[in-house]
Amino acid sequence: MGREISQRPNYQVLAIVTLQKDRILGGSQLSLLANDEEQQKRITQDIAKAMKADVVKMKDGDYLVIRV
Amino acid sequence: MDTEMISSQYLVMIVTGIVMGTMARIMTIKADYRQYPSYPNGYLIHLVTGFVAASLGAVAIPALMTKNFVAVTFLTVAIQQFRDVRKSERESLKDLENTEFAYRGDAYIDGISKTFESRNYFALIVALVSSLTIQIVNLEQIWLSVLAAIVIGGLTFYIINRFSKGKSVGDIADVKQGEIEVKGSELFVDGIYVSNLLGSENAAKMFKDEGIAVVIHPHEEHFRIGLDNFGQRQAILFEATRALGAKRYHFSRKEYDDGRIVITLIPIAGDINKLLHTVRNTPILESVKKSSKLMNTKFIGRE
Repeated sequence: MGREISQRPNYQVLAIVTLQKDRILGGSQLSLLANDEEQQKRITQDIAKAMKADVVKMKDGDYLVIRV
Repeated sequence: MDTEMISSQYLVMIVTGIVMGTMARIMTIKADYRQYPSYPNGYLIHLVTGFVAASLGAVAIPALMTKNFVAVTFLTVAIQQFRDVRKSERESLKDLENTEFAYRGDAYIDGISKTFESRNYFALIVALVSSLTIQIVNLEQIWLSVLAAIVIGGLTFYIINRFSKGKSVGDIADVKQGEIEVKGSELFVDGIYVSNLLGSENAAKMFKDEGIAVVIHPHEEHFRIGLDNFGQRQAILFEATRALGAKRYHFSRKEYDDGRIVITLIPIAGDINKLLHTVRNTPILESVKKSSKLMNTKFIGRE
């Protein structure tokens, strides 16, 4: 697995969009707090489109915008 | 002046060797589903280097026959030239890495560039054997000697072509269509988890509607060693995206229990049959080949 990791393209977390303020602890990414789920989806979509990035929906409801 | 001229026998020998060697190179330039090197400039470059290789092979025997032993050392120049072919091919493909849908990967680039180098040796060996045949046969009727050279040269080409021919994925594994399933933001193919990058509704819908997938089942357990190799999987993924294009996503994933490998993507054009054909015909890279029989060999000193 070690070789594979070394050859895999680097992922970069560009943004995290959450509904819970206490989940934002820090980091270099853009962290945004949405009011409701609709807004959360909309913000995520807009960032992903602008940055030409991919979206990961985490099981706890947060959205990550990441770029390969 | 006449003494400095090459004899007609040697001239025929050289011309036959060059023609046979160049023909060998022409026949190994493939324009298949991979569409490489079927660019006009690619053809020209490799035909010219093939011609040069054939010329070097063809003049070796006349050089020896005229006691010009030092001249044979130019074969070392040929080897250097072929290495340069490999090097330039590697550099060229590496330069293109960032422009493709998926990376070829270092292992595949290495394999391709080695193939280009070896095909120049085809031209050299076929030319050498053809001119050697004319020298050995040495019939009074020169056309009979040429005919013999064509036959022996053709046979040589057939043998080394078979020798250097590798296997493809379809030879060591079954390649079948996979069933795509999107659960929330997670992508599964035949129940194998592939990715969770489908976080947006658009992505999930797109993959459901347009995604296609194949699953590779290795015939034997030991074939997994090669197929699981990252370079090999990258080569398969590259060929898939190369043949069908990639509208948005492309993934490869291995499953640990049975050694199944998933290749999935959203193609620009083409259908599942084209993907199946492409994956089956992807070459097994030399650098990842392992022989299970060789591993069982009982050499002296081994139990």
